[in-house]
Amino acid sequence: MSTIILIFIIFLGGAILTFLASALKGILKEVLFLASVFVPVVLFFTNISIGQTFSFQAAGFAFQWGITPLSYVFALIVAGLGLMAAIYAVSAMRNKENTGFFYFNYILTIMSMLGILFSRDLVSFFIFWEIMTWSSYLMVVYQGKDVQTVGIKYFIFSAVGAYAMLMAIVVVYSLTGSMMIDSLVQSFPGFSFDMQLLIPILLLIGFGVKSAMMPLHVWAPGAYSHAPMAYSSIFSGALSKMGIYGMVIVMVSLISHIPEGHWFREVIAWLGGITAVMGTLWAIKQDDAKKLLAYSSIGQLGYIIVGVGIGTPLAMMSGLFLAVMHALFKGTLFMVVGAIERQTGTSNLTEVTGLIRKMPWTFLASLFSIIALAGIPPLGGFIGKWMLYESLIVSDHYLLVIVIFFSSTAAFLYCYKFLFGFFLGQEETEWSHVKEAPAMMVVPMLILAVSTFVLGVFPGLILNPINEAMQTLGYANTQGHLWEMSVIFNEWGNQVAMQPIVYTIIGIFLFFLTFLTIKGYKETRYVTTKDISSSGEVPKEHENLTFSMNFMQPFFRAVEPLMRRQIDKYYNGFANGMEALFDFTRRIYTGNGQTYAMYVVIFVVLLLLLKTPFSDN
Amino acid sequence: MESIWYKILGAIITVIVAFIVGLTYMGLSRKITARIQNRKGPPFYQNFIDALKLASKTSAIHHGFMQHVGPAFMMITSIMSVLVVPILTGDQWFSNLNFKGDLIFLLYIMVFGPLGMALGAGQTGNPNSAIGVTRGLSQMVGFEIPWVMALVALMMQYKTTSIVDLINIQQEQGVWLMFSSPFAFIAAVLAMLGMFRYSPFDIVGAPTELASGPVSENGGKYLFTLMSSNSIFAFAKLTLYVDLFLGGASNIVELLIKTFAIYLIPMLYGTVSPRYRTEQAIKYFWGWPLFFGFLALLYAAIF
Amino acid sequence: MINDKNSQKIVDIIQNWSRKHSIWVLAYGTGCGAIEIPPTMTSRYDAERLGVRGAATPRQADVLLITGYLTTKTLKRVIRVYEQMQDPKYVIGFGSCTINGGMYYDSYNTIKVLDKYLPVDVYINGCMPRPEAVLAGFGKLQQLIAEGKANGATKYKENLEWYKGNQKKIIPNWVMPEYNW
Repeated sequence: MSTIILIFIIFLGGAILTFLASALKGILKEVLFLASVFVPVVLFFTNISIGQTFSFQAAGFAFQWGITPLSYVFALIVAGLGLMAAIYAVSAMRNKENTGFFYFNYILTIMSMLGILFSRDLVSFFIFWEIMTWSSYLMVVYQGKDVQTVGIKYFIFSAVGAYAMLMAIVVVYSLTGSMMIDSLVQSFPGFSFDMQLLIPILLLIGFGVKSAMMPLHVWAPGAYSHAPMAYSSIFSGALSKMGIYGMVIVMVSLISHIPEGHWFREVIAWLGGITAVMGTLWAIKQDDAKKLLAYSSIGQLGYIIVGVGIGTPLAMMSGLFLAVMHALFKGTLFMVVGAIERQTGTSNLTEVTGLIRKMPWTFLASLFSIIALAGIPPLGGFIGKWMLYESLIVSDHYLLVIVIFFSSTAAFLYCYKFLFGFFLGQEETEWSHVKEAPAMMVVPMLILAVSTFVLGVFPGLILNPINEAMQTLGYANTQGHLWEMSVIFNEWGNQVAMQPIVYTIIGIFLFFLTFLTIKGYKETRYVTTKDISSSGEVPKEHENLTFSMNFMQPFFRAVEPLMRRQIDKYYNGFANGMEALFDFTRRIYTGNGQTYAMYVVIFVVLLLLLKTPFSDN
Repeated sequence: MESIWYKILGAIITVIVAFIVGLTYMGLSRKITARIQNRKGPPFYQNFIDALKLASKTSAIHHGFMQHVGPAFMMITSIMSVLVVPILTGDQWFSNLNFKGDLIFLLYIMVFGPLGMALGAGQTGNPNSAIGVTRGLSQMVGFEIPWVMALVALMMQYKTTSIVDLINIQQEQGVWLMFSSPFAFIAAVLAMLGMFRYSPFDIVGAPTELASGPVSENGGKYLFTLMSSNSIFAFAKLTLYVDLFLGGASNIVELLIKTFAIYLIPMLYGTVSPRYRTEQAIKYFWGWPLFFGFLALLYAAIF
Repeated sequence: MINDKNSQKIVDIIQNWSRKHSIWVLAYGTGCGAIEIPPTMTSRYDAERLGVRGAATPRQADVLLITGYLTTKTLKRVIRVYEQMQDPKYVIGFGSCTINGGMYYDSYNTIKVLDKYLPVDVYINGCMPRPEAVLAGFGKLQQLIAEGKANGATKYKENLEWYKGNQKKIIPNWVMPEYNW
């Protein structure tokens, strides 16, 4: 039996077994859950090699599963983050109700994502896509809150995306008679221009929904924040990357064959840019950390879409690198929120303050992730951002680079808001009981956080598989030309060498940290956060002096005009219009037999009236 | 290995020179401000005395670990930027890291410190600190946009992102970029007003309303570290402007003259201006500076 | 070398010289005397030429300037501010009110002798003291610092119980953190 099919059998069997075992008390279901994630992932890393395929016939279609270098990059995200989040989830979901259902959906999601990446034919691609959508939908409504608004929104957009994709698949099948992705790519240049436009647009609607691209993003804030945080970390970190994966294939393999296709790229890139700006601005406004991270995910996915949309070698590389980085740091941040919510019972940034001394390891993990998110060297986010800017500058996207820069500078605001809201500020007696999260939750966060640092110093570790993926997509080899193990170049030959920079930074940091903390130098003592210079007044124990309401008010006074329009309102308007239309139709289709009988009579009369003059001729 | 030690020695000398020059400039600015206000003013070395006094404070308090980390992060930014910016053109000793860095890297390392400092300020629990930080970050979003527009215009016009290359281009052409890319220069200088945080953009510190904002809980050695960091950072920023627009400097005297000429702009503008509110500052930067930024981009696109 | 007695003296001299020439003042505008601070700082008298400069918070300040009468209500805040300042720190009593109560000598809610509650290094006499007098006061403080005699803070620490006793006598509801330097 092929290892590929074995992986899926273990996933599926594990999912069902875990679901059945959920009735049992104790550790068994957790072990089962971990095993059914862990074993296939290990199998994947050890036994699957690129190019290995597995084909079979079923229901008249030829199925082919195998892994390409491109899907290998994304499979790294899914498998790595999936494993870490699974370890986290075991501890996070303990003592919750319905854990069996959670585990079941979790395993199905991981399976379906790997399935999407393995699929070499459109049928299994679509099937796995639907499994992914359904399992994630069930997770969004898992907590049973706001199913009517959030769940329905996610469901509708997913359905629209899926049907657009299905339509594209049917069109492809009618044109080529084959369901293979490869045959679509090969025969695409021969299609008529209409089809060349229609197929990518339909596919991009499907992928754009999952990757939360403007204007298809409205489901994302609610869905990301309503799923359990253990799941949100793969929801935002890995599942949204499936949209990016599809988009890469469409942008590179299909759109580059359209005559004048670069306009298409520009549109996608600008949509990505607008997504980045609006996602960031709305993220700054949120007071709930989950919502903040959800909007920030939309913004970060915007960068990736820009990179993929531009499609020069450097831009594509930056898009894929940012995809990996986003999985790492956003996965961690959702886990951090989950840990804080578990320990304090709320994820509201205006309520929780001063956790830094209570949850130092969680703070460390989120500090690393935030620095990576903000794109500050020497952490990994910087590499991706750098490549994105350089590629935009080199390819003469004058305004887009400014838009992206605005978004990433504004991102500092919510980065700070996140860290300040949870960890810094006054230490409150209300939260004095809070303890550090259990080790099983902290360790995955720290591993992911440290890996952002490692990838920042040695970006070559992940750029190597990306390079191979890009070579199969038709790009030239970029190693040595655009990147080395710890050096990155732009297309004009300018470079940033990370190693000396990192060593200098660490050296300076340690020197001054020692200078400031050393005990013998000055009589330094710790005072509580109540002991502040507040005009001589002594704040009482219960007095909360933390500044957290309307945190970025002056900024919003300046950017007010940008945020007045919400795409949500347009969709609501559209929905209301449709509702009115349906109301009207209901007045015709009353459901009353007599009315229908009367319609029939009127119709026949009309027909007879109209027919007589014509029949004379 | 010998060459590495020479490098480190060169780097240390660079930092010390930057520290001394930066503090002297700040002292001179106090003196000049005083003369404009018809005062005698402190001696130009007053800031050295202040720094020495802060360093010789015998006690200090901290509110937690981030208060140590904040100034240390600030120091990283200052020293890294002074190492990445080419100080003297064609000089082996002080080339430091500048062949490894480029403008985008510099832009990002320059926001590392403020963010770190913001974290340190947040740890103190003083509401004034947090308010100052939010103001500072908002203002940063304001002035970064015209500043980046100017830089992008330069990078696109001359097809390089390296500062060293930009200096070489100016020396080959014999024309400073200040004259060959005038709009970029204007946008960058207007953005610089915000970067130096003199009036009317001193909304972060705002001693009268925020009690010096982010640093309000820092005294003694913390304030000393921040003060030295500020002076080094000021020197790095001035040298960057000289490198980009004034053709760099081949010896230290030329460097001092050019940097001081640049330094006079925000300083003199500051002495005659009251303070903006935060949103006014942002709107200021998104007015004329942005317009000149667009002109610069247009100029770069056409030529 | 640092532990050597003579060189320690040199370090002290240098440090005291820097302290002398860099005086950051926390002007606690408690009483009417605060009105004399602006002319002292601005163009006419320009205290900045002596290195005197305003500080925004007690953490950064060297000198606490008590400008005039202190009500018992304000005293609590002043003590708090003084305790938050970093060593070495000095107190200047400004105006007659801080010396003996001045014109408020028989008031029921001002303190009469500041030195009973905070260790005053320099008094500036007058009601109000003119800016010339204020500058003279700063000059005296500089002289004391240079000689190493401005040791009010050490006095405060040594006689903490006496000071605290006096303070608690005046302040009825004492809910303040203990001074723990």
